[in-house]
Amino acid sequence: MILLRHGRMIRRRAFQIVPVIILATFVVFGLLQLVPGDIAVTLAGENATDARIQQIRQSYGLDRPFLVQYGTWLWNAVHLDLSRSYLSNEPVLGQILHRFPTSLLIVGGALSLSLLIGIPLGVLAATKSGSKLDTAVTSFASLGVALPNFWLAMILVATFALSWNWFPATGSVALAKDPAKALLHAALPAIALAAGGVAEVARQLRSALIEILSSQYVRTLHAKGLSPMAILWKHGLKNVSVTLLTVIGLLVNRLLGATVVVEAVFAIPGMGSLIVHAAIHKDFPVVQGVVLSMVVIVISLNLLIDLLYTLLDPRVGLK
Amino acid sequence: MQSPFELDRRAFLAMLAAAAPVGSAYAQGTPRKGGILKVSAASNPSSLDPTTGGAGSDHIFLYTMFDTLVAFDYATLQPIPGLAESWTYDDPLTLTLNIRPGVVFHDGTPCDAAAVKENLDRNRFDERSNVKPDLSTVADVAVTGPLQLVLKLKQPDTALPLILSDRAGMMSSPTAFKALGRGHDRAPVGAGPWKFVSWADNERVIVTRHDRYWRAGMPFLDGVEFQVIPEVNTGLRSVIAGQNDFVYFLSPQQKQIIDRAKNLTAVTGPTLYCVQFYINTARGPMGDVRVRQALNHAVDREEFNRATMNGLSEPATLTLPSAHWAFDKQMAQAYPYDPDKARKLLAEAGFKDGLDIQALGYTDQRHVQRQEVLIEQYRKVGIRLKFTNGTIPEMTNAFFVEKKGDIYLSAWTGRPDPSLTYQLMFGAGSFYNASRTEAVPEIGPALLETRRSQDLAGRQKAFAALQKIITENALVVPLVFQFEMDAHGQKVKGYKPNLLGKPKFENVWLEG
Repeated sequence: MILLRHGRMIRRRAFQIVPVIILATFVVFGLLQLVPGDIAVTLAGENATDARIQQIRQSYGLDRPFLVQYGTWLWNAVHLDLSRSYLSNEPVLGQILHRFPTSLLIVGGALSLSLLIGIPLGVLAATKSGSKLDTAVTSFASLGVALPNFWLAMILVATFALSWNWFPATGSVALAKDPAKALLHAALPAIALAAGGVAEVARQLRSALIEILSSQYVRTLHAKGLSPMAILWKHGLKNVSVTLLTVIGLLVNRLLGATVVVEAVFAIPGMGSLIVHAAIHKDFPVVQGVVLSMVVIVISLNLLIDLLYTLLDPRVGLK
Repeated sequence: MQSPFELDRRAFLAMLAAAAPVGSAYAQGTPRKGGILKVSAASNPSSLDPTTGGAGSDHIFLYTMFDTLVAFDYATLQPIPGLAESWTYDDPLTLTLNIRPGVVFHDGTPCDAAAVKENLDRNRFDERSNVKPDLSTVADVAVTGPLQLVLKLKQPDTALPLILSDRAGMMSSPTAFKALGRGHDRAPVGAGPWKFVSWADNERVIVTRHDRYWRAGMPFLDGVEFQVIPEVNTGLRSVIAGQNDFVYFLSPQQKQIIDRAKNLTAVTGPTLYCVQFYINTARGPMGDVRVRQALNHAVDREEFNRATMNGLSEPATLTLPSAHWAFDKQMAQAYPYDPDKARKLLAEAGFKDGLDIQALGYTDQRHVQRQEVLIEQYRKVGIRLKFTNGTIPEMTNAFFVEKKGDIYLSAWTGRPDPSLTYQLMFGAGSFYNASRTEAVPEIGPALLETRRSQDLAGRQKAFAALQKIITENALVVPLVFQFEMDAHGQKVKGYKPNLLGKPKFENVWLEG
């Protein structure tokens, strides 16, 4: 239904995605070229010789002009071939599909925690604005924003994994293989990531809700005798839902980026560690593949949020 | 011609030495069969085919699946029999290898002379081979019996037995590499104690027992499971938490953490891993031997060891550690810490007011700490080090390919035969010699001599002569030999470190 109603908007966005992908992958490819280092030296290994390095450059096409290399990659990508990793010779698409669920589980867990904790905190703080509870929530939110993910991750490992042995300290398990173990492995990384998210959701929700609850139409509703709970649920929360959606969209993008650090602390083989390893070694097919998939994810997410805006607030509609 | 590498009295003693780790292992209790050893691995393998891979850290994986033609003594790196039970130099240009009977690869293919020839030819000629330089002195390989083959050499090369204890001597099943082609990188078939099961990139490598392994009753472990954890602090945490049993390539600073964890045992031992400054002798002041000698005199290696290695490493003045069979005691005294002499040498070279040196290094905390100590030590003699830092691939390319920087603070990981170490670092045209030329013409002949001598004493003498040339010309600034630092849980028994610094699990068992 929603797809039919907003088909034009979706089509327009689908066309927008093309130049964004080309621009993003081109910029990343260009930056990789500027960074010193040569993957041919890495591939030649400990017995490297100038001749062997040159041979590797030729066989991988690294000696071809910049635009030819990029164009070849793009042409293959258009045909759904993301090429193979220079380092492992594994298909890039296969690597991404293998690792993405791991990162998604952590990001999904962090997002769920952020919303489950952040929304009640934000509502409480807004409805008790100026009270000690509000001060406590605001302080907690400030702390959550200030705490670095990696530091919190290490504290969580030291306490819950090393001292108390409640959770595993490293690694991951596929959700399809063993759901219980997968969730256990994802718990600490998700909590470490969620700290900032909880704070962000609580703060944004609090300020948006305070603004709405102090508006004239809410005062009118009070005067008409509606109960505070009804006002909060029917008018307050419905009106802040657009703000909340915006926060969720930004939060998911941020969480996806933050997995790089958290995956390193917990030795999780996800998208973050994949791109870091590839970027260090200039394994450009992998870097390009991950960037491409991230761009698609972010744009798709933004599109989904735009569609949801129209559901929640018809005024946004088809402007 | 009789050689020390025949199975004579010396070889017999060497075999006893090879058995030493097993003996030591028994000293830790009675070995029992069974169990999976879980290892936190410091990096993903570049390939699991010894011919096509290139990273020094691959060996820890490769040793589980591949046996080498020649093995080495853990303590001294002297050659001992492996898949080749004996070898002789019939003349300086003819090396005969006698292959051990009854060895089969994991796929059932016999590991005989024909299989070895196919491996050596693949190593020498395959387009993707990274070990061609190791076998560059071999002119021809001929099978002279079911278990015997003769290597005809282009020039005398007594380094070959130890070269065959490295990648070039790791035997793969010809049936497998011919059938799989490039796929052998990721599904290798060797003749080692364990056979390949799976490799999830940057995640896990699993190997399981080879039931037809040639060493009776071995291996003890049913299998080894490597979890790839590049960050060593995280790797150590995985062992403290009991998720893994063993972690290697730890830093000396982590010894305190291991000691505090009651369930862990620290293992440490000397290695060939030398932290050093590479010098590009083709760049400006670095071409002056007095400047290079000043660089060597100005550094207080004892203090460097205390400040950056917690005193757990061996100060280095040569490219070989004191435990090595080719170590030369006399030359080891060549560069005592002497800032006055360093200043004098600099003044003689025309740098009375000091000298600015462009150095390359790495960005991580451990390396930056090393740089800070060295900057301060060199400042005292008027040498002003200016570091440019980056990742290992970036800086290796910058120094050895783009010829940026006068000196490069990095490390040499060592090779089983020291002639390779000297050839690769100081030989003409070598990649790790940034100048690509011999700094002094005596190096070439001295290098050849180390491969010409037929017995160990002769080779020691040849290496002493070569080390004298390298040291007097100060072609490198060795700083410390970093000791191997591993940690394992209490149930791991029988593990012994080796001088190459790359852990082998062939004698390990799990208690309980």
